Amino acid sequence: MILGDFGTSYCKFLDLDAPGAKPAIIATKELPRETRVDLATGHNGKRFADRYVNELIALARGGEALIEEDEYVLLDCGSRDIKFIRYANGKLADMGWNAECGASMGFTIELLERYYELDYTRLRVPEQTFSVTCGVLGMSDIFDAVISGVEVAEAVARFVKGIAINAYRFAGSPAKLYLSGGLCDNPLFVGSFPCQVTALGRFVLLRGLEAEAHHPSPPPVS
Amino acid sequence: MTLDPASSVAILSRFRKIGIIGVPPLEIIRGANEHGLVIHDLDEPLVREDLETASPYLPRVYCAILRTAVVNALHLELDAIYADTGPGKCDCALHTATILAEALPIPVICTKNTDTVACGTPLCQARLPLIDRMLAITAGVKSAAPCQNPPDPCTPTAAFWGVPPRDFSILGLFPDTTHIHGWARCMENKTPADHALEAQFNPEVPTVFFAQSFCAKTALARYLAKKHPHALYLDVDVHTTSSARAKVQAFLELSGVRP
Repeated sequence: MILGDFGTSYCKFLDLDAPGAKPAIIATKELPRETRVDLATGHNGKRFADRYVNELIALARGGEALIEEDEYVLLDCGSRDIKFIRYANGKLADMGWNAECGASMGFTIELLERYYELDYTRLRVPEQTFSVTCGVLGMSDIFDAVISGVEVAEAVARFVKGIAINAYRFAGSPAKLYLSGGLCDNPLFVGSFPCQVTALGRFVLLRGLEAEAHHPSPPPVS
Repeated sequence: MTLDPASSVAILSRFRKIGIIGVPPLEIIRGANEHGLVIHDLDEPLVREDLETASPYLPRVYCAILRTAVVNALHLELDAIYADTGPGKCDCALHTATILAEALPIPVICTKNTDTVACGTPLCQARLPLIDRMLAITAGVKSAAPCQNPPDPCTPTAAFWGVPPRDFSILGLFPDTTHIHGWARCMENKTPADHALEAQFNPEVPTVFFAQSFCAKTALARYLAKKHPHALYLDVDVHTTSSARAKVQAFLELSGVRP
């Protein structure tokens, strides 16, 4: 059984019939049109599979599989949107999905790195931050800062920190959170959160799909 | 214009087709029914016109229900509009009525519905598709007659709290055993200003607290959602977005609610 997480910028795949196989990643723009999987998630996923699991459910199931605690917040920062789930006493307590005001944050972070030829592993978390609620609108702050004499790297770092703080607030400002998504590999982003962060990587939704593949039916209402 | 209740009823005999915004007092609806008037509920999408045609009159960032009411009022041939602007509706409706009164050549009559006689809420508690029940509730505001052949109540497995959404498609995600709370329940009860009834919820079942974006009720919806032990707060503007659908779907499934 092949699982696919079809994201805006990257698609992730896992073949459950290949023991020990690691997930594969391919840029969405390079994805063959004829691609088919057995079980899909991600906002592009419906086109590539007969069975689809919505992203919040995949995230929640991934969290259940990867996190042993009963109380936690799991935040997924993708290219296009941010979403979180909060569990209390081992049960869903809150959730959110921001596809509008959280739009294109991850995408913009990657775009800026390439455009300005920056390396996020070399940037320090800045003292200051921008008040960023949207990736597109936040770029104006970068341009304004650069015009006023701030170094490009510093301006972009403030932008990245602003995005992290916005995502943190969106998730309910927890003291500790688990982070999912490709931005887990961005030390500037992870270090910009004003709380304890445990990065789970970019395959949390695939783990959720794996759980759904084994246990497809939700428990009945008691 | 604002008339005393008796005058608001008396002039109904001059009209053949009226539009309503919100839920006008029962005596107005009864009078309209007795005179055989055609009643258009302007809060619902009735004409195939772009919502942007309301923009010269209302800001784009405004309650989608009232923007819809303005589009309907501009494109339907009506003899008068009865807009409820009392405690059962909102200040936004009052301002919309003021603007329509100047923009249209017909009378726009403001009412204040403070009806307190409870007509019951059988549809809110029945086991039937949620969309069908919400359609019946909104259709019910055009009739003074009580619900005919009320269905039996069911044990709820989920609940929807809020106003009838502008886009009913989100209701299709809920199971038939979903109870309705909030202002929609007040509508069926024909007591739209009953704030105590509006604030009631059932803490025993997972509940989606819904409000239209930019509506004052977003504050109440979010407040009650925080008090409820198992709730999802949701606001939606003109159309149900894919993320709003996914949130409801995930909330119900992760709460163990069967479709």
